[in-house]
Amino acid sequence: MKQLFRNITLVAVALMLTTTACDDGFAELNTNPNAAIEINPNFQFSWIQLRTSGERYENWRAVLIYSSTMMQHLATTCGYWSGDKYFYNAGYSSSLFDRQYTQAVKDIQDLIATLESGAAGDQTMLGMARIWRTVIFHRLTDMYGDIPYSESGKGFIEGIDFPAFDSQEFIYKDMLKELEEGIAQIGDEGGFGSADFLYGGDPAKWRRFGYSMMLRLGMRMSEADPAEAQKWVEKAIQGGTLQAGEDAFIEHTNGPEGINRNGIGEVLDLANGSAGEQCPRLSQTFVDWMKDHNDPRLDIIGTLPVNGTEHNGMPNGLDTETLLDNPTGTTADDFSTVNQAIVKVSSPLMFLTVAESELLLAEAAVRGWHSGSAQQHYENGIRAAMKNWERFDASIVVEDAVIDQYLADNPFDEANAMQQIGEQYWAATFLNEYETFSNWRRTGYPELTPVDYPNNVTGGTIPVRLVLPQGELGVNPNMQEALNRQSLGTSFPDHFTVPVWWDK
Amino acid sequence: MSKKLLTTLCFAMLLAFPLVAQQTVTGTVTSDGESLIGVNIIEKGTSNGVLTDLDGNYSIKVGEDATLVFSYTGYETQEVAVGSQTKIDVQLSAGVNLDEVVVTALGIQKEKKALTYSVSEVDPAGFAEAREMNVVNSLSGKVAGVNVSTTATGAAGSSRVVIRGNNSLSGTNQPLYVVDGIPIDNTNLGSAGMWGGSDGGDGISSINPEDIESISVLKGASAAALYGYRSANGVVLINTKSGSKRKGIGVEFNTSLRTESLINTYDFQREYGHGRNGTAPTTVDQALEEQLYAWGEPLDGNRNVMQFDGVERPYGDAGDNIGRFYETGLTFINTLTLTGGSDKVNFRFSASNLDNSDIMPNSGLTRRNFSLRTNAQLSDRLSATVSAMYVSELADNRPRLSDSPGNANYTAWSLPATINVETLEGDPDKLGAGADGTELQFNDNVFVTNPYWAAHQFDNDSKKDRLMGKVQLRYDIVGGLYARGRMGLDRFTNRTRNLTPYGTAYSPRGQLSEGQREVQELNTELLLGYDQDLTDNITLSLFAGGNQQRNFSESIGGSGNNFNIPFLHAIGNLQNQSVNYGFSEWQVNSLFGSAEVGLMRAIYLNGTYRNDWFSTLTSPVEGAEGDNNQGYYSAGVSAVLSDLLVMPRTIDFLKLRASYATGSGPGVAASPYQLNLTYGIFGQGHLGQALGGITNGSIPNSNLIPLLTKEIEFGLDMRMFTGRLGIDLTYYDRTTENDIISAAVSSTSGFGSKIVNLGEMSNKGIELLVTGTPIKTQDFSWDINLNYAYNDNQVISLLDPENDEESIRGGESRTRSAYIEHVEGLPYSQVAGFAYVRDEAGEIVLDDNGLPQQGEFTHFGTGVAPTMVGFGSTFRYKNFSLNFLIDSRWGGKIYSATNAFAYLRGLHKETLEGRETGIGSIPAEEVEDYYGRIYSITEQFVYDADYIKLRQIQFTYNLPSSVIANLPISGLNIGIGARNVGILYSAADNIDPESTYNVGNAQGLEMFGVPATRSVQFNLGVRF
Repeated sequence: MKQLFRNITLVAVALMLTTTACDDGFAELNTNPNAAIEINPNFQFSWIQLRTSGERYENWRAVLIYSSTMMQHLATTCGYWSGDKYFYNAGYSSSLFDRQYTQAVKDIQDLIATLESGAAGDQTMLGMARIWRTVIFHRLTDMYGDIPYSESGKGFIEGIDFPAFDSQEFIYKDMLKELEEGIAQIGDEGGFGSADFLYGGDPAKWRRFGYSMMLRLGMRMSEADPAEAQKWVEKAIQGGTLQAGEDAFIEHTNGPEGINRNGIGEVLDLANGSAGEQCPRLSQTFVDWMKDHNDPRLDIIGTLPVNGTEHNGMPNGLDTETLLDNPTGTTADDFSTVNQAIVKVSSPLMFLTVAESELLLAEAAVRGWHSGSAQQHYENGIRAAMKNWERFDASIVVEDAVIDQYLADNPFDEANAMQQIGEQYWAATFLNEYETFSNWRRTGYPELTPVDYPNNVTGGTIPVRLVLPQGELGVNPNMQEALNRQSLGTSFPDHFTVPVWWDK
Repeated sequence: MSKKLLTTLCFAMLLAFPLVAQQTVTGTVTSDGESLIGVNIIEKGTSNGVLTDLDGNYSIKVGEDATLVFSYTGYETQEVAVGSQTKIDVQLSAGVNLDEVVVTALGIQKEKKALTYSVSEVDPAGFAEAREMNVVNSLSGKVAGVNVSTTATGAAGSSRVVIRGNNSLSGTNQPLYVVDGIPIDNTNLGSAGMWGGSDGGDGISSINPEDIESISVLKGASAAALYGYRSANGVVLINTKSGSKRKGIGVEFNTSLRTESLINTYDFQREYGHGRNGTAPTTVDQALEEQLYAWGEPLDGNRNVMQFDGVERPYGDAGDNIGRFYETGLTFINTLTLTGGSDKVNFRFSASNLDNSDIMPNSGLTRRNFSLRTNAQLSDRLSATVSAMYVSELADNRPRLSDSPGNANYTAWSLPATINVETLEGDPDKLGAGADGTELQFNDNVFVTNPYWAAHQFDNDSKKDRLMGKVQLRYDIVGGLYARGRMGLDRFTNRTRNLTPYGTAYSPRGQLSEGQREVQELNTELLLGYDQDLTDNITLSLFAGGNQQRNFSESIGGSGNNFNIPFLHAIGNLQNQSVNYGFSEWQVNSLFGSAEVGLMRAIYLNGTYRNDWFSTLTSPVEGAEGDNNQGYYSAGVSAVLSDLLVMPRTIDFLKLRASYATGSGPGVAASPYQLNLTYGIFGQGHLGQALGGITNGSIPNSNLIPLLTKEIEFGLDMRMFTGRLGIDLTYYDRTTENDIISAAVSSTSGFGSKIVNLGEMSNKGIELLVTGTPIKTQDFSWDINLNYAYNDNQVISLLDPENDEESIRGGESRTRSAYIEHVEGLPYSQVAGFAYVRDEAGEIVLDDNGLPQQGEFTHFGTGVAPTMVGFGSTFRYKNFSLNFLIDSRWGGKIYSATNAFAYLRGLHKETLEGRETGIGSIPAEEVEDYYGRIYSITEQFVYDADYIKLRQIQFTYNLPSSVIANLPISGLNIGIGARNVGILYSAADNIDPESTYNVGNAQGLEMFGVPATRSVQFNLGVRF
């Protein structure tokens, strides 16, 4: 018996002694064979650029359903196109916010941390990455006001689970500083090379892109903080903005994955997209404006109505019932649609065009912040805007003579300059609706007539921001403070009518 | 099963076990000179059995060398070897059988009275005869403290079993299933969420109920302690039937036909028809645009109104759309069982075929089970068990749930009263399609799919091939010393195909995803044990051993969208194709030991220890912090007071027990690669450039440690009045610390969640089981079984121990106004959302427009019912028996998105108010805005999920032995069983309160699931 006990004890002890070997090979086993622990910054930068261009999700909701209809580029009778009638759809409204942080912000913050640590890459890359970060964030703050900025995207790097919301004023001033420092970091060597879809890594173009961003951001403060705005606009002009042909855009392709495709194309491309979205028509406001100005872009942007030989824009704010009483057409087939050639899944997606840059320079000149010729910049802007469409499809050709004729028909008018520039900016940013929406709020041009559909949530005024995600309020304890600070009350639909900081 | 294979198998077995004529044994069973009626007599190791008649007589056909087991409630069981006897009279002595043996952790058999913790044995009687498609659903209402939630996921769907409350906020809370000592996989292969999806089925549903001999439920940490990191949620031990020594081959054939019909809980308004703003559509465009809204005019069957297809139809009540759309479910089950055995070897083989068509059109399940178990005594000391189960499962069109795209339930339930669902049928040769072969759209929202198109043109199929096998050897070394080694494998391949066909409105050129996943778990266990009676009064039982568990999962698939050639639904025809690949592998090594000492065969002390090492907690990054192993222990004592003290005569048996144990849940072990940040390369690149980005959706954490549960348990087991009354009472108190969860963080952190060790959660509760036999006469007996369980769950602390007001989000409803949150100080899985704005008097405050307002964010209560009561009863009269089971839940909440949509669309009866008169300042034609606003006010749609259900009624008739004696068979029974007979009580409008759409940790959300069904099963069993 005793012997037996001893044997058992011996076995037990032997087992205990082997315990150090009980995790042999575990570290190797727990290494994911399908993922890397480090990443080439080039691969990540390419990834981030495509992520910023975005997916079908937010392009459908934030860009098309809300912004494009509020800006009366498009119109529809479909009930779920909430922007056309100023309805509140929480998910649609917060879509850009919901997607960009996890898709673009996460990786840009990680990339910048890697580049700053010197573990990989070079200073030129860092400069470009910092500029790109402002591309991501300025869109977010323009749409939503105060947002998580300085602490965001740092869940892993700094362990910040619940980032604070920074004020838009702070964000704008920091972004401008980032642009300045980022531009300064771009040397003549290094960078992302062909992994950069914008300019193939060209440092000179990147500096000019940085200054055009600075121009855009600086000008955005023209009403809220004119002195600061002037300072940055002057700095941008001095640095040198984008030159003809240097539009900042990303080429998309037919696939194979969603990320390769243009998000707007995924929605509107009926042949190759994935949504089959047939709701939108060109807005009457937009079509009539182009008609009034004898604009050659009408035939580029629009496709003739099924029932008709002439372009016809649909009035905003109608449903199928009220459409029956509409004098200019009673069914969807009576109105012009968006030309399929410019909303392909392989269409380029514009971030910042020379047209916008030039029109802002024209405005700077009008404001006296720039010694150049307002007229020259105005004409440059229009020329660039027209030519820009050639990037979309081989079938689109805009002859210089046509542009000359347009400029002759619509000469620069010093007395009416702000309105002219604002309207041209509105036309030039079709499909880049984030920018359309922002510039309209800042300048008030074009003067859009709001619709007043029954039970809209804004009291018949065009929304002046998108509403933050309600769900974030339950998750992030910092959001309430941001709401209080901006006088955003408990009723989320009411937020639509509260201007952001720079919108004075 | 092919005939040829069967014939071959039978033939092989016939060679091994020469067929010899059966013999008939007769006799009388008495006690103290009185004959006993209804004594159960079973041929040991078979299901061959009879009952004694009025005079205590019986007659049974048995094989040679059979052993008969005589059992009778309140009497000691007796076994008699038949030998060459043809007449066996038996005297049973009154008393309680105290030497019952139960199977405990790791398959170790123990005397019941020695247990220091609660083990519930479940009688599988009725599992096959009133069958659930998923065998675990049969446990519902049967065991105190075992909470079975069936989901609204269709015939091939998963179930959720939770024992003694939830331990983990995001890991699984389901128990470990062990079949004949081998852990099996119970992964839920896909579930629906707020955006839709479908349930992919689970692992336990593969088991054929007819193969089950017994089920033991190890409810607490003490009982399960030897399962280490897999112990916290309890363990369900399933033991399968085996053959026994007999002459010849025992043949049993069972056939069942089961019909299933829908329980229509919906009671929508049928007074106002399709339309908006109080008017019916007048044009096709309007009919399309007015979607599923029932804000039209009062029904008027004499008036024709425009519908989506340009046809004007009467604006009257179109009738029962549900009856038109859903079908009667039908299931055929045939099972053939062969058993045989000699002194040295025995076997049992069963083959079963189940063929089901679900109530959802074009949806069903085919399942084939083959099971072979062989026991062999290879020498005096060496014995072996070899068993294998092969399961082939084909699920046809698993229904889509929750959100609308592709969810036929969504539209089928939501049609306004004036629309006949059959008008959506379209092309009779291609249901749901219009003339051009694409989806017949009946509304302008592309995401609201035509139900016929969804049911008949979508594909969501899966095919699972699964093999579970085991080899076990036991060698008795000397005296009470033995060694046991075993290896068990569970491996399956799951092939899935998910088609959104060409021509679907929301995806005009379609999508297809084809995938295959292989999952394997391999366990190798070695154990050395020693059982010895040291003296008459001291018994000893020791064992120690080790286990290695290795799992892997690998998936390969192709998917894409946009078919080039219309309607050619092949992966090669996709314009955009992508390849998906997934792989994960992990291992757990364990050492364990157990010791038990018995004193005077009345007091038992035991202790166990197990240490687990986890590959998943071993960081691949050198120098990282964090432990990769954890130890678990248990200690317990039980005292059989009735053996130690003099008891009143009425008490047959009284035992008290106490135990303490630590344990853990499996979440961490099964999640490799969570410790560090990883980057994925996206192979397709873009314009020739490689793409790479962070793959983690959760913030990784290298300091993870396994969660730890600590549980103390006290119990009382008493049997009285010669076994007529039994009481089994347990109290437990368990805390869970360091739960590893994926906690929702702000998405602005860049990640949706963070993997963290979270504070603390507690579960305290009582379980009571009362069994009784109130009436027992010569012809008639009545048994009752009442079980009651109350579990008080509380989330004690979350991320930050200093902050007592934290909450984390577990889920969200598609309406985006209801959430599941885990909140400090409240029970797990709170249904949360917005209350009405109310004034001090509690009246709803309207805004300037006269609309109710979304008010304070409120936690309405837990989605998991804390109280369960089950009541079962069996009546026996001669050869007839009838039993029923009533099952109820109390104290839980459910948020019904179905009712929210019914408000939004004017389908709910409560939306009738004000249609003629308006509401307050809202004119009649705009009341839809009023109810539309309520749609986003969560409070309105949170219901008490209390219910009482008549879960089962079963009626059986056994052909009397006197009749059988004249027939060439040895037994025959006929039965009718019904499951889910009716909802006796429910507080929720329109929905079955038991209809959450997934088995995860967001319990308490409902939305357009497959409706609950009532099944009736006819059963015929013959034994030869």
